[in-house]
Amino acid sequence: MIESQRHSYHLVDPSPWPISGSLGALATTVGGVMYMHPFQGGATLLSLGLIFILYTMFVWWRDVLRESTLEGHHTKAVQLGPRYGSILFIVSEVMFLFAFFWASSHSSLAPTVEIGGIWPPKGIGVLDPREIPFLNTPILPSSGAAVTWAHHAILAGKEKRAVYALVATVSLALVSTGFQGMEYYQAPSTISDSIYGSTFFSATGFHGFHVIIGTLFLIICGIRQYLGHLTKEHHVGFEAAAWYWHFVDVVRLFPFVSIYWWGGI
Amino acid sequence: MATSMARSGLRAAAAAALRGEAKSGARPVLLNKRSFSASAHHDDAYETAKWEKITYAGIVTCTILSIYNLSKGHPHHPEPPPYPYLHIRNKEFPWGPDGLFEKKHSEH
Repeated sequence: MIESQRHSYHLVDPSPWPISGSLGALATTVGGVMYMHPFQGGATLLSLGLIFILYTMFVWWRDVLRESTLEGHHTKAVQLGPRYGSILFIVSEVMFLFAFFWASSHSSLAPTVEIGGIWPPKGIGVLDPREIPFLNTPILPSSGAAVTWAHHAILAGKEKRAVYALVATVSLALVSTGFQGMEYYQAPSTISDSIYGSTFFSATGFHGFHVIIGTLFLIICGIRQYLGHLTKEHHVGFEAAAWYWHFVDVVRLFPFVSIYWWGGI
Repeated sequence: MATSMARSGLRAAAAAALRGEAKSGARPVLLNKRSFSASAHHDDAYETAKWEKITYAGIVTCTILSIYNLSKGHPHHPEPPPYPYLHIRNKEFPWGPDGLFEKKHSEH
């Protein structure tokens, strides 16, 4: 921390990233709508917007890592901000996924006459929940155990073990995503097959997307642990990744029980 | 708070009774130490080893399940009748006529 500073708060420098991220988001939404409707140049604007957002994410978080790890601005008081932020973010994600499970339950608990009054709708082939869905369910909690192993290894000061544990966490996550892809490829229905396809693929697809985000987050933590950025006393980034990962692995149990198992037999 | 204080007091009393009066007062400081969960002493090295074992158990379970599952092969589903709610197309996809993960149906 700067020695002339008489308080423990981080007064941030002016940064171009909020406006660049906003412009990227604008280009992404406008480009996305143009792409989905037959407008010229939609795909180009959408790609530009996504590249802009990804670039902003990279440089903004790079700056945060410099401020926290190299410049020591993240005092105990400052660490509270990202902690509350991560918790509120995860709470909002819980509500987001809750909406998709609600949609699925809404459509399946009292199936309409248009789909034959039954669930799964008449003519819809469903995946056997005892096959890949059942196989994929324990992989994420195992990965959750591995991230707990990594957490204790960081607290115990076992730096190498923590890297191994994070490699195990990420490997299990990648295997899970691989099986999810295989499951989608083998699935007898698609997202355009009735309300079953819509609810099934939006709920499981958004969950899978969150698994991919969590995996990227953990990969970054693994690299930072390897580089010695994380210490016994200060590893807020890792803690946020671990909370996020537990959210993702616990949430997996809900679609397994309600969508694959109850909704698929 | 109150219950844990009462509990630790009872525990200390029980321990004192077990030791007998002759030895009492030998290590009174240690016995009166209250153990709240927030200040509980976690042995991180022990926890690291424990969770490492749990992870290995998880990996072994998942590997066995994978081998069992993949050796069974995947089932083939019959083509359903063209109900109006299946294969919905309100307009063409930006990338062409086939939906995501859908092309396989025409290949079969």
